Amino acid sequence: MVCGLSGTVLVGNLERSARRAARWLVERTPVRGIRDWGIKFSLWPVHFTTACCGAEFAAASAPRFDAERFGFLPFVGPRQCNLMLIEGTLTRKMAEAAVWVYEQMPEPKFVMSMGACAIDGGIFWNSYNIVRPKDILPVEVFVPGCPPRPEAVARSIIMLQKRIERGESVGLRV
Amino acid sequence: MSGAGSGERTLELLIGPQHPASGHMRLVAEVDGDVVVRLRPDIGYVHRTVEKIAETKTYLQTIPLIERPPLADTANHNLGYVMAVERLLGVEAPPRAQWLRTLLAEMNRIHSHLYGLGIHGIMLGSSTAFMWAFGDREIMIEMAKRLTGARITYSYMIPGGVRRDLPPGFAEEMEKALRYLERRLPDYDRIFFSNPVTRARLEGVGVLTREDAIRLGVVGPNLRASGVAYDVRRARPYAAYPELDFQVVTRSEGDSMARMLVRVGEIRESIRMIRQILARMPDGPILAERYAKMIPPKWRDYVRETGRIKFPAILASLRPPKGAEAVSRVEAARGEAVFYLVSDGGPRPYRMRMVTPSLRNVVLFSHLTRGCRVADIPAIYGSLDYFPPEADR
Repeated sequence: MVCGLSGTVLVGNLERSARRAARWLVERTPVRGIRDWGIKFSLWPVHFTTACCGAEFAAASAPRFDAERFGFLPFVGPRQCNLMLIEGTLTRKMAEAAVWVYEQMPEPKFVMSMGACAIDGGIFWNSYNIVRPKDILPVEVFVPGCPPRPEAVARSIIMLQKRIERGESVGLRV
Repeated sequence: MSGAGSGERTLELLIGPQHPASGHMRLVAEVDGDVVVRLRPDIGYVHRTVEKIAETKTYLQTIPLIERPPLADTANHNLGYVMAVERLLGVEAPPRAQWLRTLLAEMNRIHSHLYGLGIHGIMLGSSTAFMWAFGDREIMIEMAKRLTGARITYSYMIPGGVRRDLPPGFAEEMEKALRYLERRLPDYDRIFFSNPVTRARLEGVGVLTREDAIRLGVVGPNLRASGVAYDVRRARPYAAYPELDFQVVTRSEGDSMARMLVRVGEIRESIRMIRQILARMPDGPILAERYAKMIPPKWRDYVRETGRIKFPAILASLRPPKGAEAVSRVEAARGEAVFYLVSDGGPRPYRMRMVTPSLRNVVLFSHLTRGCRVADIPAIYGSLDYFPPEADR
């Protein structure tokens, strides 16, 4: 693509160069720190309940454990969410839906998987109808337990926040 | 547009499996404008093949497995399964174990109903109901944790008895918890049940007549809200229920409001029952003599002092007689749960059948929503206290 701009001539893909320049700017120290700090405290998990760990996930958002103090607010629409929590076993039928929901979420997006089933099958390891979330989604944090206690969910949120702060989890599919 | 002809005026609307109403299932609604012509629940999103896996696990290992599908209501299902295993083996739990089982079952009923109430609240858009119900549910969970050591997956009942005795000071703490809950229930009434918004959304919505409830084989509070006083605890008493004084809560309206209020009534009855249990708990062993005498001698003092059972090795390889079959029925929080076990003489069940209350209530989705508005779907869904993992197993 060639552009003429009052005397100067720019050669190349302007759109791609602009995107690269923006990325270069955002990845510099001051902007990047502010961006990561902002992402850290606005982890909104999409309300996508895959199995029974949802009961403990709900308890984590309820008054006694109150995950909202970490900026963790379960929300309905995937278009407004940046975190996906696989709550327990992922069956084949649900895995299809999980990928759809994940693809609808805007970047940067993170995936946490909750419960022994979401790590490697757990008690259902020999079931004919389950999928390991790590095979289909880029999982960042695994929360062990069957079901994990709400404290474990809170701790995993803090872990993800620290990873974001240190730049280990960028949540981008480059 | 569904259908081939241009004369078709209905639209197929897919709700879920990712939706605000706590997920796990898709509702395929055929709508004409705002009116639901037909609603088909698409189940099976949480089918984890519990019955098949049970055939690969020993009788004791199956206990945690059957607790996973009804996660908010584990104790009642655990009790049902263990009763079936005991019938296979010809063992009977001692009286104190029976009373402890009933105690945990009723505690679980309270927190399961509060769970259903909270989810119903969030479906109606009332965050207060969700926050209150889930906050108060923690009281019962905390008490159950003191008794069993686990928050919701207790695995408390084992063939022949229970795992732990009452911890010291449990009755006094429980009395405090019950008094708190009793004080809270009128608050719920003020802010949620008699709230004009809640009443407008629930009263007269999703009416299930008595005849239809019986014809469709509905169970649990959904059945009792239509005026049928059927409760397994009364119809075929088990554990310590024959000796307890309780009422079967029924209502005659059969609408969403009635279903919710039946659950609230059951919370009140459970509070009464827990008081009776703690006042009249018999003394004695908590594990059947047949297994208690197999605890290694060096652990017997530990068991006596702490009231915690050290599992005898025999429990890991229970072998019921070949060809034995057993059925058990319990009234779980959401309705009647049936367990059917067949043994082939080996250490693993030959077949384990688990009929859960949610499975039997799923028929109501298409029955109750016929002709209702799209906005009524969450109001009806929530009132059924349907838990998809329990139905899909």
